[in-house]
Amino acid sequence: MKRYGKFLALLLTLGLLTATVAQLAIGQVSMPQMNFRDRTLPNGLRMLSLEDHSSPTVAIQVWYKVGSKDDPEGRSGFAHLFEHMMFKSTRNMKDEMMDRLTEDVGGWNNASTWDDFTNYYEVVPSNYLETLLWAEADRMASLTVDEKNFKSERAVVQEEFRSRVLAPPYGRLFYAIERRSYTTHPYRRPGIGSLEELDAATLADVQAFFKTFYRPDNATLIVVGDFDPKQLDAWVDKYFGRVPKPDHPLPRVTVKEPARTAEKRFQEFGPNVPLPAVAITYLAPPAGSDDAYALRVAESILGAGESSRLYQSLVYRQQVAQEAFAQADMREDPGLFILGAILASEKQPIEVERALLAELKRVQSEPVTQAELEKAKSQLLTNLIRERETASGKADALGRAAVLLADARRVNTDAAKLQAVTTADVQRVMQKYFNDNNRVVITYTSEPEKPAAGAAENGKGGNR
Amino acid sequence: MKTKLIRSLLFLVFIVLYPGALFGQNPSSSPVPQETPPVPAAPRPVSVPKPVEQTLKNGLRVIVIEDHDMPLISTQLLIKNGAEVDPGGLSGLADLTASLLTKGTKTRSAPQIAQEIEALGGVINSGAGWDASRASINVMSTKITPAIEVLADVVRNPVFKEDEIERLRQQYLDSLSVAMNDPGTLATFVAARVVFGDTSYGHPASGTPASIAKIQRSDIVDLHTRYYRPDNAVLIIGGDIKASDAFKLADARFGDWPKPATPLPSRSATNSRKDTKPRIVVIDMPDAGQAAVVLARTGISRNDPDYFRGIVTNAVLTGYSGRLNQEIRIKRGLSYGARSSLEARRETGPFVASAQTKNPSGAEVASLLVDEVSRLSNEPLKEAELVPRKAVLIGGFGRALETTDGLVAQISSLALHGLSLDEINNYIKNVQAIAPADVQRFAASRLDAKTANIVIVGNAKEFLTELQKRYPNTEVISVSDLNLDSATLRKATAAR
Repeated sequence: MKRYGKFLALLLTLGLLTATVAQLAIGQVSMPQMNFRDRTLPNGLRMLSLEDHSSPTVAIQVWYKVGSKDDPEGRSGFAHLFEHMMFKSTRNMKDEMMDRLTEDVGGWNNASTWDDFTNYYEVVPSNYLETLLWAEADRMASLTVDEKNFKSERAVVQEEFRSRVLAPPYGRLFYAIERRSYTTHPYRRPGIGSLEELDAATLADVQAFFKTFYRPDNATLIVVGDFDPKQLDAWVDKYFGRVPKPDHPLPRVTVKEPARTAEKRFQEFGPNVPLPAVAITYLAPPAGSDDAYALRVAESILGAGESSRLYQSLVYRQQVAQEAFAQADMREDPGLFILGAILASEKQPIEVERALLAELKRVQSEPVTQAELEKAKSQLLTNLIRERETASGKADALGRAAVLLADARRVNTDAAKLQAVTTADVQRVMQKYFNDNNRVVITYTSEPEKPAAGAAENGKGGNR
Repeated sequence: MKTKLIRSLLFLVFIVLYPGALFGQNPSSSPVPQETPPVPAAPRPVSVPKPVEQTLKNGLRVIVIEDHDMPLISTQLLIKNGAEVDPGGLSGLADLTASLLTKGTKTRSAPQIAQEIEALGGVINSGAGWDASRASINVMSTKITPAIEVLADVVRNPVFKEDEIERLRQQYLDSLSVAMNDPGTLATFVAARVVFGDTSYGHPASGTPASIAKIQRSDIVDLHTRYYRPDNAVLIIGGDIKASDAFKLADARFGDWPKPATPLPSRSATNSRKDTKPRIVVIDMPDAGQAAVVLARTGISRNDPDYFRGIVTNAVLTGYSGRLNQEIRIKRGLSYGARSSLEARRETGPFVASAQTKNPSGAEVASLLVDEVSRLSNEPLKEAELVPRKAVLIGGFGRALETTDGLVAQISSLALHGLSLDEINNYIKNVQAIAPADVQRFAASRLDAKTANIVIVGNAKEFLTELQKRYPNTEVISVSDLNLDSATLRKATAAR
């Protein structure tokens, strides 16, 4: 349901990360520019806005540059827990009043916590725009969570942990990926946290986190939809303009993940795992880097759809996997490129690992075909058009460009960059980032096969 | 310019909040007077895209809905039968048949079909649910001509090659083994058996390990021959295309699809399920990371005169601020989310209320589900609670029409149940007409919790004692003894 972080979305959403529309012809289709306005208030709040009168609704989003990587020490999962608190009381709003202002008038709201940012979003009938601007500004300026709310909502987040990590057969595998893939960077702590570290969190932590990160000069307000620009500016000045900019500095994560120098292997276990799984991870360049375009194309050629190389090879021809995936999980700092599969019955993890690596090596040793390249671009561009069918989709694209890629204009330029990727670019980036000495291999099998106590390494953020 | 969201938002002007209830109640004695939210401006007018239709000579109904906002087209071929026609013991046949459509035709292999559609930037999907099987494609509008050619080919000319059947059979078995280890998914499978017994909505639409293993090629070919025919199908095309062009395309690709001389299979009610003695079933999965708790009973059919009373009643229970989530998540922190669904099918479908919780809270959550459903029939509902829940339905309906896929899905559902396409214009009016007394009456007469079943999949020793205090007749079945092919839910040896 709502207020979820990236966890479930892990395998599904990131394919859209390069999504952009430019004045770009695909066949005879010409896509319009997103002619957004970009202004910054004296208190540092940035506002991006785009008129779209196709339906009488408006999408309002506030992106804060604080994410799971900013979880305090010993408080893994805190940024996400905090995100839940932002729906509790403020000086002028009762608990859950955000739901009264959205859901009760036919709109909706939600929020999600990512590694590098946290975004809060609403869609409402456009006559409610002023109301929602007031409400978002109000929760930026004041938050008055009490002990009872805090404990009750923390229990909800712990149930969320159980629903995402403990209950599904492969929950523990996805939980292990970040813990095993990073040694140093705070990305090593899964954003959902752990039951123990969530238990350790206090109300004082909530107020400290709010004071440190929730401030106008750390926020981007995005408004897309049916509004009058002059009226919008006046309302934003009125409600957000009065939120003070604090004097204290904004802490930023500066830790660098060291380059990998040798293959590392991990075995993970879970109960009720009917078929083993394998995941192979590599460090990927930052989301904003120039190599990201070619990696996105490679991800698509390897993993998107039933004509993809992994499906055709592992699932269709060799039938060693029930499901195979490639995922470029790119972030502000080095992210992950993940190849993985759930095995077909009676196959061994080592066969599947070899089959995944063989496909990786094939993309490195010979150029992909022109037809595959064109197919990948067609898929990526169609996805981005689909995303922009709605005002909230357009707002998402603006937010990612501005906050994750640090350049809002990329909503209008990325498509051309993606179009310019060549087969040689794909081969070059695959050779540049992936080799035999920089991968982490995780195998995941059923609990009963677990070696005797103590033999398996028990990482931080364990289950119970 | 797009004219979507229909008139939904015109109505929202009446849904002004109850401001007094919302603010000014914080205990803090703040020196600055507290603010109230600015009141909404007047809502802005809107109108609706209008579907148009033709029926081809072979009986194929073609519906087109223009929407030129984005250069996308969504198209769907609907067959008006699905998993409800799976023969006894062959659960999953309709779904396997529909999935095999894209795995090879007289002129295209499975990899060629995927390759062709994905090279167009498109996605092709096929599968069967209750009452319907569907094949659909979503592409950029410039690619519709080649895309619809593939769509017609997979629906009309599948060859069901043995090696493709075996490959897909294995994938089904593997994914079933995953589903059966997920407490939430397993609980819904069990709930369907408990509610519908051995009648046609009782089995899992995606099959069971035993039934999938049994399906023969001849079963698949028979089902395809019997149900995939133009006079049992509807083609829906929505998005950036002129209606006249869409009709031409439809005629070119489907106009010569022959209509068999045999009569259409009858669609008589074979599923009229009378409520039996309610069952309280625990599936014991000792390692389960959470308990999945489900309350389930019969609900309504799509053509039931109480349909709108039903969906509004359900909206009071479900959604983020619905009663179930209020009581279970927001007030008590017992779950990440509690919800209900009233799935109106051709015959009476299920009503299901559910939540996942830590194992020790399994019995408490079951009681809360029962109590909340009962409260709806026992206590009068206030208008002030109903108005926002209706707004949730109306807003969600409007948003569903914002994408070409959503638009096509709405039309498809009306067409499937033989309802007038104008219903898309009446939805809001029909929802608005429901009064608090209608909800209470519907809940009392159609959703009686006393005749509802309860299913919990989880670690039984953590909640069973508590559950038995309220339900001494609880059946406990070990997950290793569970048999989804039978209403007894037990493997043959255990049943004897």
